[in-house]
Amino acid sequence: MTESKTAPSPGFGLGLRPDHYPEFLAGPQPVDWLEIISENYMVPGGKPIAMLDAIRADYPVVMHGVSLSIGSDEPLDMNYLAELKALEQRVEPLWISDHLCWTGINAHNTHDLLPLPYDAPALDCVVGNIGRVQDYLGRRILIENPSSYVTFRSSDRSEWEFLAEMAERADCLLLLDVNNIYVSARNHGLDPLDYLAGLPGDRIQQIHLAGHSDMGDYVIDTHDAAVCDAVWDLYATAIGMFGPVATMIERDDDIPPLADVIAELDRARALAENVLEPVHA
Amino acid sequence: MPEALREVQRRFLAGVIAGDASAEALIVDDERVGARQRLDIYRNNYRASLIGVLSDHFERLHAYLGDEQFDAVAGAYLAAHPSGTRNLRYYGGAFPEFLAEHFPDDGELAELAQIDWALRSAFDAADVAVLDAARVGELGDAWIEQPLALHPAVQLLPVRFNSAALWSALDAEAEPPELALFAEPVTLLVWRGGQQTSFRSLSAGEADALGRLAAGASFTDLSAHVIERIGEAAAMEDLAAWLGQWLADGVLILAD
Repeated sequence: MTESKTAPSPGFGLGLRPDHYPEFLAGPQPVDWLEIISENYMVPGGKPIAMLDAIRADYPVVMHGVSLSIGSDEPLDMNYLAELKALEQRVEPLWISDHLCWTGINAHNTHDLLPLPYDAPALDCVVGNIGRVQDYLGRRILIENPSSYVTFRSSDRSEWEFLAEMAERADCLLLLDVNNIYVSARNHGLDPLDYLAGLPGDRIQQIHLAGHSDMGDYVIDTHDAAVCDAVWDLYATAIGMFGPVATMIERDDDIPPLADVIAELDRARALAENVLEPVHA
Repeated sequence: MPEALREVQRRFLAGVIAGDASAEALIVDDERVGARQRLDIYRNNYRASLIGVLSDHFERLHAYLGDEQFDAVAGAYLAAHPSGTRNLRYYGGAFPEFLAEHFPDDGELAELAQIDWALRSAFDAADVAVLDAARVGELGDAWIEQPLALHPAVQLLPVRFNSAALWSALDAEAEPPELALFAEPVTLLVWRGGQQTSFRSLSAGEADALGRLAAGASFTDLSAHVIERIGEAAAMEDLAAWLGQWLADGVLILAD
């Protein structure tokens, strides 16, 4: 067995959202770690920074970005990277992640996670950029599988094959978004179990669980609803295959009270414990 | 020879932000959803998320215009000013100017947007040690000769309409007052006290005084100017009242 590239799991976490600042400040919550959206704290000062410093004092934090645009076929934005590194130095995160996507090109930014062709030129581009980012930050980063709605005509391999090759060549880690696998599988008529089976398990450092909107013919990754049963089932399968992996609930819209998100996280804990129990018995 | 990734991305981006149909040829068509509808998911996400960000950043302008008009105006801005910023937090900085240019007969729109944007900017402006009563106490008399500056959260906004009253009513979800054009422009002071952002209307004298401090005047320079303008007794009264408020609100910092 090859040695795992990942650090031990810190347990079960949540995405930190401003709606929940008061509860995190008021007292300890049953949450092992928090994930911040890096860009929300890439500001000069004021309340976001004050909240971050106060909450960071009580919880380990991971940084999750949405603007690295690792797949844009143009030079990396060094100003963005410098700001990311400054935030890293302030937060001292467990790790830093972003997405397998591009957000724009030629100085136009959609702020959306746009899809890549899964072909050799895109792989070369992504691998080169991840290498440059990892050299600059002096650490491995995690790349998350996106939700996607289109397949490029030039794609000549599956998304999981692309991710596996990327992770190996760039020597990076993976953030597995189980909901995104479900969404993309539905949108492209794929089998999510083939997807999981094709991933390098020794590079999966973190798992995202989230909700989506089912439009019938397709599914949109909206993060505005509770995790659905099919995604819970897929999560149980993933944990069974990959072992204990740091898992969190990602909610970005229609934010419910913290207690509701913690209840979902407790479901993830119970599910993971149940799946892993026979291994330890 | 396959198309370079950069060219693929240029075409896809044009398909998303400008509705360019040629992008559909890049992706696999299918009977269930179809290439156009698949690309439309990205087109809709783009438009909805950026208009949503403008709505967050310009909440009272949105309340003033209502959903339909705000959507139309924000959509026109999005078409004219695609985002060039990396961080969504900074999208919309040119919206007040866009409104002033395109709606010259509705000057209050740009002013409401300016107030929204100034408050948003004050919210996460840099943390710099303010000149407050405690700091003045530590510094002794020496500070009055030192050049001053405004805290990074502070902005002076000249307005021609009763936009401040409109904004406050909209913020309270109350019926806005009748629109009124002032005989002379009025300056609004935007600041942040602790983590709370606020604004208030300034008298012409206080606006002029803060303008001088923003340009690097010391309190001694300012005092001399005010005394010359309105006489010593009135000047002492105004300066004492202004300074007390500035120190309490955290409006000033030492320059350098």
